[in-house]
Formats: sequence, C-alpha cells, structure tokens
Amino acid sequence: MTTQTSTARITYSRTIGVAAMEGRGFYYPWAGAVGSDGKIYILGRGSDSDPRGVRVTVLNMEEEYFGTFGSFGTGTGQAIWNAGIAIDSKQRLFTSDEHMNRIMVRTLDGELLDTWGETGTDPGQLNGPNGITFNSNEELLVSDHLNGRIQKFTTEGKHLATFGEPGSGDGQLTLPWGVSVDAADNVYVADWGNDRIVKFDADGVFLANLGSPGRNDGEFNAPSDVFVDPDGYIYVADWGNQRIQVLDSEGTFVQLHRGESTLSKWAQEFLDTNTEENAARNTANLDLDLEFNTDDPHEQSAHIEKYFWGPTSITMDNDGHLLVVDSNRHRVQVFDIASSD
Amino acid sequence: MTSTDVQLMAHLMRRAGFGTTRQKLDELVETGYDETVEELLDAVSHPSRLTDNLIRRYHPEYSGMMGNQSAGGNWMYRMISTDAPLREKVGLMWHGIFATGYAKLANGKVLHDQIRMFERHGMGSFKTLLIELSKDPAMIMWLDNSENHNGSVNENYGRELLELFSMGVGNYTEKDVKEAARAFTGWTFGNTEYMTLKSMRDSVWPYGRLSFHFEYKEDDHDNGEKEFLGHTGNLNGEDIVDIICKQPATAAFLSRHIYSFFVADEPPVPEWPYKKPVDPAAIEALSKVYFDSDYSITEMLRFLFKSDFFKSEDARYKRVKSPAELMAGVLRLTEEFDRPKIDMNPTNLQTSYMGQWLLNPPSVEGWHWGTEWIDSGALVERVNFASERLGNLESPGVQSLVDRILASSDSLTAEQMVTSALDELSISAVSDKTRSALVDFAEAQLSQSNGDSNGEAERLQVANVLKLVGATPEFQRA
Repeated sequence: MTTQTSTARITYSRTIGVAAMEGRGFYYPWAGAVGSDGKIYILGRGSDSDPRGVRVTVLNMEEEYFGTFGSFGTGTGQAIWNAGIAIDSKQRLFTSDEHMNRIMVRTLDGELLDTWGETGTDPGQLNGPNGITFNSNEELLVSDHLNGRIQKFTTEGKHLATFGEPGSGDGQLTLPWGVSVDAADNVYVADWGNDRIVKFDADGVFLANLGSPGRNDGEFNAPSDVFVDPDGYIYVADWGNQRIQVLDSEGTFVQLHRGESTLSKWAQEFLDTNTEENAARNTANLDLDLEFNTDDPHEQSAHIEKYFWGPTSITMDNDGHLLVVDSNRHRVQVFDIASSD
Repeated sequence: MTSTDVQLMAHLMRRAGFGTTRQKLDELVETGYDETVEELLDAVSHPSRLTDNLIRRYHPEYSGMMGNQSAGGNWMYRMISTDAPLREKVGLMWHGIFATGYAKLANGKVLHDQIRMFERHGMGSFKTLLIELSKDPAMIMWLDNSENHNGSVNENYGRELLELFSMGVGNYTEKDVKEAARAFTGWTFGNTEYMTLKSMRDSVWPYGRLSFHFEYKEDDHDNGEKEFLGHTGNLNGEDIVDIICKQPATAAFLSRHIYSFFVADEPPVPEWPYKKPVDPAAIEALSKVYFDSDYSITEMLRFLFKSDFFKSEDARYKRVKSPAELMAGVLRLTEEFDRPKIDMNPTNLQTSYMGQWLLNPPSVEGWHWGTEWIDSGALVERVNFASERLGNLESPGVQSLVDRILASSDSLTAEQMVTSALDELSISAVSDKTRSALVDFAEAQLSQSNGDSNGEAERLQVANVLKLVGATPEFQRA
C-alpha cells in the first residue's frame, strides 16, 4: 500500500474530542456538521448495548464544550441509529435515523422543530436514510441506502426527485452511504457496496464512476463518505481501507492519508488528571511496527492509535479545515488544506 | 434417496453444523455423505454471507469492541450466516476448553482476536494451536503469564496448560508445572504495563480500546536448564508444547474432548480421572489418528464423522445443544438476520439467560456441558426462545417453512402437520410421548378453524405447531 505522495493537498492539523459515554466527548461519533458561527455538531451513533452515545455533542475547534442534546429511543425527538447530519442556511439542524426511517429538524440549541419521513420503497418513502446534504437550492439530498437510491426533498419533507437504483451498473448503487455536492450541484455518492464514488449531475443523470475496488492508490474499499471542496477536490472516507483519499476534480488520485492523531485538548486533560495511566502510557510504544495475519487495515488501525479506525464522515469548517470523524477512536481528526495557488 | 440417508445427513449437520432445513438436506444427500464431510472440513474457502464490513457498518461497537457483549454478538452473526459452520463449531469447542473471559480483560477485541485465532488454527495441528494459544494475548492476561518472570515465576498458565488444555490431572507432577511455567517466562503482550492498567481500570480513554499483541521478551526468559516430563535442557515454550503433544495422555484427553463435543456428552472434565469414557474404543481410535496424522484436528474430525460410532443411531440426540448452538440453529432457520439489525444485541444476550454468555465464561474451566445446561430456569429460557422465534410468521425463514408444510398436502391432518413440521426441521425421530403431545396440540389447533378463506388461520396453526416443536426434547438436543 502506498502511504503518501509528494503532492500534499491535506496536512494533519490537530485532533478534537475524546471518548466519553456521556457529556463532554464522543461515543462512536458518526457524522459532523458546522454552523455559521463555527460551532461543530457531532452526531453520535453510540453502542447498541449502551445507547448514551446517541446524542449531538456541540463544541468548537478550540474544544470549548457547549453541551449535548438528543437521546436514544423511538419517541419524539429520539433516535435509534443516528446516521447523517446537515445544517441549512437558516441554521436548522437536520439528522437522519436509518432505523426509524425519519428526518428530524432542530434548532442549533436542540429544540425539535419537525420530524418527517415515511417507511417504504415508493418514491418519497425511505428505507435506511443515512448520508444527507443540502444543494445550493436548499434541497435536502438523502442517501436512501436500503432502497439503493438518492432522494431529494424540500426542507419540509416534500419529495422532489429520486435517482439511482439498486445494482452495480452505471447509475446504480449498492447500500450507498455518504452524499455530497460540488459547486455546480453535481451529486457525489459514496457507493459503499460497489467500492466507488458515483457522480450524478444536479438532475440525477449519471455522469461517472470514480475509483474501483482495492487497496491501492485511487481504489476504495467500502467508502463511507465523500466531500467536495470549493476548488473541486474530492475527499473520500475510504472506510474499509481505514484512510482518507484525495482526488482531483477529474477523479484522478492525488493523495491518501492514514491519519496521525495526536492528543486532543480533552484527551490531554484526562491524562493530566489520571497520572498513573499517563505515566504508563508514556512508557508505551503506540507507533508499533507489527506483522499482521491479514491484509485488512482494520487490524492495523485497532493496534496503532494514531491511524483512522472507522472514518465515517468528512466535512469542512468555515475556515477551510477538513474534519474527519474517526468513529472507533471517538474523535475528529482535523486537516489543513493546501492553497490552490 | 432413502429416509436413512436423510436422517444420517441431518445428524451430521446437527453435529458438524447448526442443523439445516429439509430442503437443504435433500441437496446434501444428492451430494453424498463423504463429499459433504469433505466440504465441511474444507472450511476456510467459504466466505460468510454477513461480511466483516457489513457487521461493522451497522454496529460500530461490534468493530471497536469496548464492551462485554460486542465480541459475542459479532460471533453470533458469523455462526448464523457462515457457509462453513464446522469452523464455527470447532471455535465453540475450543472456546469451551480454552475458556477466556471478558471479566478480567475488559476488552472485547482481544477476545474476538482469540476466536479468530481458533478459526485459523482450530482445525490444523494441535501443536500449532497450543503454541498460538500460548502466544494469545487474551490467554496471557487471563492466566497471568504477563506476571510470569525470570526469577519470579507465576505458575498459572503452566498449570492450566497441563491440567485443562492438554493432558488432564494425574499425568504430570507439580515439578512439571513449575518447569513448564519457567519455560514460558518472557511470553507476554507488548506495552505490558499500559495495557494491563487500561484493563484493570476498564479505561476507554482517551481513544477507545487498543488491541493487544504478543511479545517475547528474551531478557525476561529463564534460560536455565529445566526438566519436564523426563526431558532435560534449556527448554522454551515451544519445547514444552512439543513434549506435551507427544504424550499419550494428551491424545486421549483431546480425543475425549472431541468425542464429547461431536458424538455424545461426556461427564464434566473434573470427573474424567475417575470415570471411564463413554466409548473407550472410540477414544483409542481417535488417539491413533492423532499420532498417525501428526496431531491433525482435521484428520481426527474426518475419521470421526466417517466412523460407525458417529453414524450410529445410538448417537443421535445424545448431546444437549449448548445455548449458543441452540440460538444459532434457530436463527439460521428463521433467517430473521438477513442483514445486521439492532435486535442482535438483546437477542444474543439471551444465551446468557440460558447459562452461556459467550466470551464471558464463569471460570477458567469454562462451562459444564451436557445435561448441566438444563436447569428449570435455563430450560424455560431455551424453550421460550426457540418457540417464540419458530412461531414468528414475520420471519422469512418461518414463512418458507410454513409454506412448505402447507404444500405437503391438500388438506393437512394433525398427524400430517406434525410429521411435516418435524421433517422440515430435520428431526428424524421423536419419542411416542413427544409425537402424541404434538398431534394432540395440532388437533386442537385444527378444531379451532374458523373457515377463514385467506389462509392466515392455517398459517398460524402451522406456526403454532412449529412453536411447540421448538419446545421438544429432540429439538433441544443435537
């Protein structure tokens, strides 16, 4: 596996967050979105045996903590399997629940404004909504993953369009996950089951497949998310390969990154107050050079703490930082983006 | 195809797998018994329907494995979806013998890694398996070998290696235990202090669990001369395993375990020094294969599945299914987990109510198998679980079973309904008492027919009979 190219579009900046079953921190964070005031909203998936992680944690890049909202359950305002998050221009927070087949709309303070979504396979119905994003017309694109398609809704939940269908051919999708748009509203879908990114135009007409199955440069294994920056660079959370890949606007490979997390402010504060654990950690070699009995990078990531382990989501803040939600490590790795000049 | 062929194949699939449907049995009988055995033994080449990626996508905790339920839930997915059921059954056997648990480790991933090691090595050479076990970080922590130092010996692993894992009490001396322990000094896991502290504190901070890895510390190994089972020299752990594997006691001990797991329940291991095997000739024959094949587990299983003592009608329904086997068998029939679902966690937890919390055994001795699985509380849980699941018409597998039972006759009598239900669940024979109870129940069901023309009432009647079959002693046994 290639580790790094000389063309660096992204460079590691910092890590934010720490593992926490409740309160300040994350417990299997799943996706993130950034408000106009720079606050970061991290949607938690939690554990099936301990659902306290089903919440939204609010912080900023300096790791100021602003609280949490949301909880596990089937009641009003609750979620079972949090999946996707997006913020509209009116600063309303949209989240998807791929178990309950519904979209919840809140204020950025967590007050529930609306819930919509109907279970089914007909146009406008949902079966496993996960990745969500807004296009420039303020229309919500939903990755309707068990139906193998993308659906477009108004912010009130009125169905506008459906495109894609289950399968592996052109314009077809298998268990799609994340979805994003570029400046021209072209739609990019993390086609998880087909190990590729599928590009549609703004009307849902198939344009291209990017990448192919594998572990080499430009190849993907079960990508979970995709993000397109204002310059047209495409960032892929190559989830099964435990890495981030950068493609140019034509889909040509530019760079990959395995992650290089350092201690976040919250992580350092934990260690500062747990001196015995801190002392033991300081004697440990956390940058191991091991031989593994499998080529699955999952095992490397399970052993080497700085690597991504389950990167589920990519987004960008208002200052152009790339935020990668690193789910199994309960943190967000932050990257600087090089100037296009 | 004769009914005898079908019954024998059903027996094989209950023991080497988790049971199967009549439809699948017919296909296997066409394939042939010996060929089916070969396919079961050729386990590695068959992928699981529910892949690692698919499980991890929906259940992040089944990937990060911080808690005490995730590794077991992950394993249950593999048991119910694999096309290589013998590999999982062998894994269950080793987990029962080399029982290692969450309670001390506080790390699901290291236990998951141990089970994966069983899947890689559990059907190969017993010698290789024991060496891998000795290097397994879960076992090292479980039995304190990380505390076994040159000049400060901890005998725990050396003792259990001989007593519980290979030879059994009465076949070695206390000195052998001490010398074995000395030979395993320096066999530990990396970052020992930090990993131990994190486990002791159940710490997930700052960034979740870290996986363990084996590390041999030469500077902590006792390089002095040792005398073990009549062999003298600067023995290391591999030498100890090599000597152990050459012992007739090891062959007999291993053969008895394999016989107990695949043929008929033996008494609990602590009673073995005082009670003869159920079938001494079978143990002797398996021991011979062990030596002739250079300790090959696959060859022992091949011999066993093709032996008369395995095929004998006397061996059928002689084993009580462990809770994990019962659950996996039921869920394979109902097909309700066609993809990962949030119900897996509470479902899998039910094995603990039946007395077997996977990857969390009560002690280093593991569980006492056989009829000790059955007490009044556990029996209620077992019956309730099987009955509820087999009677759930929303499950695709149950719908298929009901369809086939209804299609077996234009107008089912109670006798026919029971015969067909037993047939579809691959139960070849039940006692007269069981059959009589089932037929009485089916008759009562039929007498309540209300003339419903859409067939839903008939489907419910059949589902109710399937429910009751799940409660029979024959279904609860293998």
